[in-house]
Amino acid sequence: MNPLPAAPSSPDHSAAGKAWRWLLNETAGWLNSEGERWIFVARAMLASFSALWLAFRLGLDAPYTALATTVILAMPSSGMVLEKAFYRFLGTLVGCAAALALVGLFPQSAPPLFVGLVLWVALCTGGAAMHRNQQSYSFVLAGYTAVMIAVPAIDAPVNVFNLAVTRVTEVGLGIICSAVVHDLVFPRPHARAVMRTVQARYAGFIVFCRAVLAHRITPEQAELHHLRYAADIAALESGRAAAFFEAGHSRWHTRQLHAFNAAFMTALTTFYTLHRLSHRLRQDGASPMPSLLEPMYAHLARALEAELTPARLAQMRTELAADIASARAQLAQKPGVAREQQIGFDTATELLERFAANLADFAGLYHGLTQQRRQQVSDPGAYSPKTPPAIIAASGFRAAVTLLATAGAWYWLAWPYMTNAVLMATIFCALASSSPRPTALIQQVLTGFIAGMPLAFATEFLLVAKADNFYPLVLAALPLFALGAYLASAPRTGGIGIGLGMFSATLLVPANLMRYDVESFLSSELSLTLGVAVAYLMFKVVLPEHTMGHRGHVAAALWREAQHACTASLPRLKRRYDNRVRDLLSQLNAAAGPAPDAVTRAVVRQGLTLLELGHAVIELRQLIAAAHAGEARAALQAVQDHLAGYLHAPSHSGGDAALRAILQAGVAVRAALPDAPPERRARLRTALADLHAIYTSLLDQLSTGELHRAPSAP
Amino acid sequence: MPHLPREIDFFGVLLPGVLPVFLLSVGVHIVLDSALGSLGVYRRSWHPALVRLCLFTCVFSALLIALYR
Repeated sequence: MNPLPAAPSSPDHSAAGKAWRWLLNETAGWLNSEGERWIFVARAMLASFSALWLAFRLGLDAPYTALATTVILAMPSSGMVLEKAFYRFLGTLVGCAAALALVGLFPQSAPPLFVGLVLWVALCTGGAAMHRNQQSYSFVLAGYTAVMIAVPAIDAPVNVFNLAVTRVTEVGLGIICSAVVHDLVFPRPHARAVMRTVQARYAGFIVFCRAVLAHRITPEQAELHHLRYAADIAALESGRAAAFFEAGHSRWHTRQLHAFNAAFMTALTTFYTLHRLSHRLRQDGASPMPSLLEPMYAHLARALEAELTPARLAQMRTELAADIASARAQLAQKPGVAREQQIGFDTATELLERFAANLADFAGLYHGLTQQRRQQVSDPGAYSPKTPPAIIAASGFRAAVTLLATAGAWYWLAWPYMTNAVLMATIFCALASSSPRPTALIQQVLTGFIAGMPLAFATEFLLVAKADNFYPLVLAALPLFALGAYLASAPRTGGIGIGLGMFSATLLVPANLMRYDVESFLSSELSLTLGVAVAYLMFKVVLPEHTMGHRGHVAAALWREAQHACTASLPRLKRRYDNRVRDLLSQLNAAAGPAPDAVTRAVVRQGLTLLELGHAVIELRQLIAAAHAGEARAALQAVQDHLAGYLHAPSHSGGDAALRAILQAGVAVRAALPDAPPERRARLRTALADLHAIYTSLLDQLSTGELHRAPSAP
Repeated sequence: MPHLPREIDFFGVLLPGVLPVFLLSVGVHIVLDSALGSLGVYRRSWHPALVRLCLFTCVFSALLIALYR
């Protein structure tokens, strides 16, 4: 292996040393790119065939279930495998229980049994669409496992319990093999990937802030950044959920990562508001504001260049306070400053201070995470994905229609292999329902199935048929499975690989008693592929617009959330609102792909405006709740009511009424300002900044014609 | 010593008798695992996943030895 061990220590000027170094570099490069994929393939194969061997050894009825489980659970990192394994087991248990209950209720009558199954599958698929993380996989499993167990039991209900126990045993076996192999053999811990995400996020955000502060980024570009960040926040949460299952991930990590995500969202929102305001102030060429605010931006940007230690952050904030004081003094000397400009200045300084505080929180959490320092943080709660209800209902409906259609076809065609098609259609309808581009996903899987047809046939009848023992069998089946796993390990061909793997796992693997029957093999191949094709058609035909992250639905949901911000009960509302809006944006991002079009960007802009608006409204409501009765409070209450009305049924007249209410409230708050005690004065100032934020976002909405995208008034 | 059954009759399906012991050790293991995780023991080990699996094997075997004679 190693021809040049003699000259490692001498400085590398000999040809041999150079060659050795080149070899090392190449090996390291290969290990980091292609090598990782091959190690993954090796892990997947080890898991698959050890599960198969054990299934044979234990004499289980359908060893292919164990094998298929390992194929499905082959994920790149150990945390993801463990997470998926856990949810798969959970889903299988629930599905089996449901099948037993349904068959027990309708033992001899197929039609009510099918109606029950259809309802169950619709319910599960809706659930799968509601959660878009691995929990949704549990729902998928619960749905199709019930079909898988109940359909063969139609003719022989006595066997149903046996079927269910076998299924649970085999899935359990596959899960144990996958979990052990992927967790132990050259594991790729997900916790490391999560830390990398955290670092990249922090670095990226600092660069973004500096670019914005130096005015190198237009609001349009910033919108795209915000869209990406929304996706990033969702990705970090799902990564954290996966890493949770790995050894050494403690609750403390969970809390810390939740707090990190929450602090990031807060900083991002403040920064967005600040960016819009400063952009607006700069539009007005004659205004003295930009020149007053510019030194603060420059100081902030310079402070961001170095490592943000607590000492530096404190220094940054004192510097900022000094800057603000001097700018205020300058402003006081300037004669004839318009009232509007004065308000703009006040809001900008308030936002700058707030942003500095947010940034300090964010940097503190980041350093705590990277240095593994334990900090006392209260858990702000998980960021939990949720889907607009129309899409959930549509997914359930689509799954029900699919199952009914395939079951009907089965009945009329009387083709025994149609059960395969029923199953496959159900599986892929449910699996794809939580994907933003379901047809693309199913298309990939279908490609895998179609490519698998000749390959599986050749493997079965040319290779597997010759195997007379377990080891030749492994040798015969290995190339096909390895190809599937290799394809599955790259994002672009992932679906093809999974399709190929599932197809081969269902078909190739021998039961304990091997049968080689060309006709039945071909029928199985055809029916399996037919099932996937049916699922594809269903997504094309039945409610094709109701898919995850469709902009119309996201836009409507954004307005609903904003309305919710005006009316829902206050505790934790701000965080929840932040989560919900970002979650909707991340759905939008997933559906829009790498280059969102103009319409999508309009929805993003609208979402960000609503985010700003909602934040200000929630803050205003907090102030109202804490305030004493008086003219100012009554005026603010009127603003809240007008806004709630406007967000419920967006219209120009409603918007104008809200604008008038805001102006009146501004007057009332200003009137209360001079003779208020200092503590109340701070609150009143915050209220003014919030009123200003609401006012400008409302003006934006009314002037840019975003209204016509809002849900029409009921 | 009481003898544990080799197989359990679960509504007509025979299940291996080690299954309840396995489930019990999974439960014990989850408690141990979260305790060790929050103490930071895994971070000091070379291969945390291996430590965790070995721990589980020890728990499971100890229970088996204690319960089966």
